[in-house]
Amino acid sequence: MAGDTDSFNQLVLRWERPIYALAYRVIGRDEDARDVAQETFLRAFRALPGFKGQAKFSSWLYRIALNLCRDWIRRKKRTPVVDMPEDVDFIEMAADQGPVESIEDLVARNEMSRIVAEGMKLLPEEQRAAIVLKEYHGLTFQEIADLQGCPLSTVKTRLYQGLSVLRKHMESRGMTSFASGRAS
Amino acid sequence: MNDTFTCDDKATLVAYLYNEIDAPDRLRVDEHLRQCVACAAEVGALANLRTELAAWAPPDAQLGFTLVQRAAGAPSAAPAISRAPWWSSVPVWAQAVAAVLVLAVSAAIANVQVKSGPDGFVVSTGWMTPAGAAVSAAPAPVAGAADEQWRPALIALEQQLRDEIRATRETGTVRAASRSPEADEAMVRRVAQLLDASESRQKRELALRVTQLTRDMDIQRRADLLRVEQAIGHTSVEMARQQQRLNYVIRASTTPQQ
Repeated sequence: MAGDTDSFNQLVLRWERPIYALAYRVIGRDEDARDVAQETFLRAFRALPGFKGQAKFSSWLYRIALNLCRDWIRRKKRTPVVDMPEDVDFIEMAADQGPVESIEDLVARNEMSRIVAEGMKLLPEEQRAAIVLKEYHGLTFQEIADLQGCPLSTVKTRLYQGLSVLRKHMESRGMTSFASGRAS
Repeated sequence: MNDTFTCDDKATLVAYLYNEIDAPDRLRVDEHLRQCVACAAEVGALANLRTELAAWAPPDAQLGFTLVQRAAGAPSAAPAISRAPWWSSVPVWAQAVAAVLVLAVSAAIANVQVKSGPDGFVVSTGWMTPAGAAVSAAPAPVAGAADEQWRPALIALEQQLRDEIRATRETGTVRAASRSPEADEAMVRRVAQLLDASESRQKRELALRVTQLTRDMDIQRRADLLRVEQAIGHTSVEMARQQQRLNYVIRASTTPQQ
């Protein structure tokens, strides 16, 4: 049993950050995202004997985490919110990043991050989760469809609708580069 | 998919955007984008949007989840996930400073005193009377003939102790005085370093605030320009309509009556 625990802790070490990042982006609160990630691993360990390897371990973890996020959103009966630190210390961030990224770049990145987070708040949970899984976790359309339990075409529709809302939000914030352009 | 791509086929457009599309379908979309300015603009804008989405990152949280298997005889033998303690996210230097502060405050409260003497180092705690008072209280007047024999010895001992204490103080003063210039130089250098660091930080903070202000103003300016452009466009359309109506009225008025 101790060997099981040790082996599982190796998996926890490998997947704790992706699962936390998924939970944070879907429900938007740091402390609650930690709770969700913690509960995800606990449930995964308990259900480990039932895991037959029919799906990828990561997909299995994502499914547990997404269900917990959905439960959290329903329990709180509110749309996801995003904690954005008000007093970001760019000096410290610049020191962490080294000389590669200037303060101006950091400010721009933080500003963009804030705008994206604002836009994400506007999306329904399904569209938001679809975009998060696609953009930040690199899942395929089929994997997202399996996780969300919906047809492939629905995933594409959710992605298109979500991206369109985000695009309009960016335009409303004066980001004119989203009004025209060409795919690279 | 049909032979031709149509503008309302958003599912295929998304597949194209994420490059999860068959080669023939990709060719059809490419062909369509060469002809349809609106779809090409939409794909370009969505591609730009995807690039900017990367800016949104979760906090750099210290997680450190660990599965803990409790002993079989424990009240609850179920496994549990433990977290890294909250202070693990506090920088090491801050933890060290906090520890030193706690030690200093504790020592002050406990009145810890460390003395060295013939018996080695002596550590004492608690609130005690000052040493001078204790020494002066030592030769309290006593009565009795037997005590008279001890009086000279006690006075001699008191004098010896006073001499030793004085000598110790003088030595300490001399040492402190001899170390003073070096210590002062080190202190001056340290203060200068701190001042430099503070000044540098203030400069960077000022630069940051100016940059932020400039960026905010730029965003506001672009938003205003966008609104102005939209207003001008709306006005142009309205003027064109008025022009059309005017032309119609002129044509109608110049047409001969039947």
